[in-house]
Amino acid sequence: MTTKKALSEKVKALFALKVEGIASQLEAPGVAMFCGSNRLMDIDEVSDISHELESLVASLLDSKDPTDISSAEMLALKAFFHNLSQKVLMRGGHVEDVVRYTQTVQFALIEALEKSSGVAFGQSRSVLLYFTGIFNELIMAAFGAYLDEREQTLQAQQAELRETSTPITEIWDGVLTLPIIGTLDSSRTMLVMEALLNRISKDHARAVVMDLTGVKSIDSQVSHHLMQMVRAVQLMGADAIVTGIHPEIARALVSLNIDFNTITTRANMADGLKEAFRRMGVTVGHI
Amino acid sequence: MIAAGQMSIFGLHLTQIGSGDFLLDPSRSLNVRDMDRLIEEVTAHLMQVRAVRLYYDLSDLGLIDPLYYSWLDALARAAHIVNVEMICIRMQPTAAFALARFIEGPPAFKTALEIQDWQN
Repeated sequence: MTTKKALSEKVKALFALKVEGIASQLEAPGVAMFCGSNRLMDIDEVSDISHELESLVASLLDSKDPTDISSAEMLALKAFFHNLSQKVLMRGGHVEDVVRYTQTVQFALIEALEKSSGVAFGQSRSVLLYFTGIFNELIMAAFGAYLDEREQTLQAQQAELRETSTPITEIWDGVLTLPIIGTLDSSRTMLVMEALLNRISKDHARAVVMDLTGVKSIDSQVSHHLMQMVRAVQLMGADAIVTGIHPEIARALVSLNIDFNTITTRANMADGLKEAFRRMGVTVGHI
Repeated sequence: MIAAGQMSIFGLHLTQIGSGDFLLDPSRSLNVRDMDRLIEEVTAHLMQVRAVRLYYDLSDLGLIDPLYYSWLDALARAAHIVNVEMICIRMQPTAAFALARFIEGPPAFKTALEIQDWQN
């Protein structure tokens, strides 16, 4: 977005400035934040990022409209802070390290520009306001990387939880058990169905005992997913035996008008297994 | 030369695999849009050879769409009318997954992993 506004003399001087040779003066904040006890970077790396920052700031101030926060130069600067944040987080650092670095490097930059030009930018309210606006955007970019990282971690944890909460076990030759715990939503049903059908094909399973003891409530969507899963098992040519249906779930299934006539049900997993063994001609008894 | 228990029509190959048992092997050239003619020819042959069971091999089919399902459903119903039980075998996980998502009730055909699973 480009905004046309009257610029103060000092801001005009800032935009007319040719920025060069200030990278070494931008290193101090990086050394303080990333080269301390946390050892997130070495001195050479801080020197590299300081040179890159100098070049990006020079491009921004030299751009057609340095106040345009959606310009290519500004986007490049935001990408730099986003990547820096990602790098620090990946190395075990905190988002606070990047935010503090961004704040301190802002003051170091103003100081370095003052020294190289001889203009007292730090005394100008409009210059300070300009840099505050720019660096607020950069802090947002650093936070963006942090939020992306958190989101990815959460998704990975959820995927792991989904996988571990539906373990498919071959309890006997050709007999699979699938205890379902928690809620069956669309994405989980698809994952479980895919894994289950592949196991039926791979293990040549002839019976699947699906235990619902861990399912405390059911609605029309969940029951629909359950029916889909049972039907897919049957289409593969295996028997589906549903066990552990709580009385309240049985009542809910009746009120939802779900037809269980084509589905074999048993009170608990033990009875379900007995039924699966019976169908396979296996007898299990006391010695 | 085709043996007495065998029949080939465009896209389908029928082979006798036991007393009253027949295996129907569809190929990629099968045009299920022509299902009326196909059903007539298959059922006529099933009656002629006194078939009891018809095994439909789905091993080459990665996906079953509503059109293909309507072909399977119509063939199973027609076979039932001439007293032949149709069993779909070797349905792929991807096909079962897709099919389970759009069918509303149990299909007109039976299913089994393999022929011997059904015979046992």
